[in-house]
Amino acid sequence: MLVVRDLRKTYGTTIALAGVDVDAAPGEVVALLGPNGAGKTTLVSIIAGLRRADSGSVTVGDVDALAHPQRARELLGLAPQDLGIYPIVSVVQNLRLFGEIAGLRRRELDQRITDVAAALSLDGLLGRLAGTLSGGEKRRLHTAIALLHRPRLLLLDEATTGADVATRGDLLGVVRRLADDGAAVVYSTHYMEEVASLRARVTILDHGTVIAKGPLDQLLAAHASAFVEMVFDGPVPAVLLGDGVTVEGSTVRLPTADPGHSAAAALATIGADASRLRALEIVEPNLESVYVTLTGRRYSENAPEDADVMAS
Amino acid sequence: MSWRVSAAIIRHEFRIMLKDPSTILFILFMPLVMTALMKPLYQSALSARGVSGATGAEQAVPGMAVAFAAFGVGFSGFAFFREHGWGTWERLRASAATSADIMTGKLVPAFSLTLIQMAALLALGVPLFGFAVAGSVLGLAAVVVAVTLALTAFGMTVTAISRTSQQLNALGSLGSMLFGIIGGAFVPVAFMPAWARAIAPATPTYWAMRGFRSVTLDAGGLGSVALPVVVLLGMAALFGAIAAMKFRFEETRIYFG
Ligand SMILES: Nc1ncnc2c1ncn2[C@@H]1O[C@H](COP(=O)(O)OP(=O)(O)OP(=O)(O)O)[C@@H](O)[C@H]1O
Ligand SMILES: [Mg+2]
Repeated sequence: MLVVRDLRKTYGTTIALAGVDVDAAPGEVVALLGPNGAGKTTLVSIIAGLRRADSGSVTVGDVDALAHPQRARELLGLAPQDLGIYPIVSVVQNLRLFGEIAGLRRRELDQRITDVAAALSLDGLLGRLAGTLSGGEKRRLHTAIALLHRPRLLLLDEATTGADVATRGDLLGVVRRLADDGAAVVYSTHYMEEVASLRARVTILDHGTVIAKGPLDQLLAAHASAFVEMVFDGPVPAVLLGDGVTVEGSTVRLPTADPGHSAAAALATIGADASRLRALEIVEPNLESVYVTLTGRRYSENAPEDADVMAS
Repeated sequence: MSWRVSAAIIRHEFRIMLKDPSTILFILFMPLVMTALMKPLYQSALSARGVSGATGAEQAVPGMAVAFAAFGVGFSGFAFFREHGWGTWERLRASAATSADIMTGKLVPAFSLTLIQMAALLALGVPLFGFAVAGSVLGLAAVVVAVTLALTAFGMTVTAISRTSQQLNALGSLGSMLFGIIGGAFVPVAFMPAWARAIAPATPTYWAMRGFRSVTLDAGGLGSVALPVVVLLGMAALFGAIAAMKFRFEETRIYFG
């Protein structure tokens, strides 16, 4: 349904996409992960025809989306990263406008509005002015607009930002059901635990490059080991350095198959430096450790502050 | 392009206009007040110039209508800037609506609003101020449609070259004030200094006022407005071409204030 090949885009001197390949088949959710500035929004915007690529190809269905963005748009639904709703008309009028633009009429439109409102708990709010909704309710309306017409390719750019647990559950459920009904979904997020509940295939972007790609379990098997992370006040003791060990400032990460023993062993070797130890954490294999293994950096330091990112 | 999609956007645009009718009230009621105030002045000025039988309404009613119509279109660009402020512009662009659908959806309401405003003010001028069309009513209608087209296209040009809502505000106000003042909507051209009279024909208002005069004081037929109508349509085409050249759908417009 979506095939992206060697997509490149620069803004002035900033390289936003440095040759990206992404695929999404019908029925599949592709989770697009990557720290701030990785290029997720740029990628999604180019697929939706909102920005021009420098080179590469984007195919949506059997449409060359770079050559015929209009035809591609008829197949897709986009919920941009930034909220986009009409605050001074009602919730139902917001939905109605985009439903009509997508070609839905009368009974079918009413039915779809009822369905999407029920799925995203908007049913009690249809008559409200959109501007009077709470932040999470606005977010649900924002996403509802993108999937109302059941597009064959759904692009969601950080759809769960600012959503509480219940809203997030609603959103993930709806997305997964659309995929089960045959839609291809590209879902950008900073929340790693969403990947598992969406049963998504993962694509990790970093500085405009895909650094890892595949089903969650394969990525974990290939790239993730557990590691012991220690933070010191001052420099990392030299005795800890060794093969595969990464150091970032005062933080050291020791990859290991047996984190408990490695932690104990590390503590035993640092001697007097133990007084400078400020934190010790055992990080089980998860997407975060995939990211650390591939980049030598932690993910969460780049992520939004309010997020319990990449905890899985 | 699909008429159903354009129609959906047009309906939506009208709904938004009606949600905040302050602009509509401004362009309808201010000119009525101004007409009532200015009419006696115009009457004495016109009779001092030896125009017999003038009531002043011949200048005041169409003058205020066209001056405030120019104001209105200066602000029609907000229909675009709002979308950027609300984050909905990208949504429209990413939807199945074509560029033509979106343009039609935005411009038809702006055009209609100006047309309705001018028609209402001219019609109300008859019972309220004794506005009389001695010549061709069809000619009057042709002038109204032509100047509305020219002003709408002007509004689009101003929108196309503005990056921020403040620029739109400044350029739109400046343009419509100049149109009103230099074009003879407030001060009849005959009373303006020579330098102003020389540049007046560069404004759509001038040609509209000339057309209005032809079918009122001069009691002309449909043919008497041919020149003004053709010039106005030419201006509409010119502004439209500039707007089409300069307008970028992908441009990020900044809405504030
Ligand atoms: N319009 C623009 N002009 C200049 N630079 C831009 C523009 N849009 C994005 N960039 C830059 O391109 C890079 C990729 O940005 P993008 O928005 O695609 O990242 P992202 O992965 O969506 O990040 P986030 O998680 O913060 O949303 C960043 O360095 C950003 O500053
Ligand atoms: Mg982004």
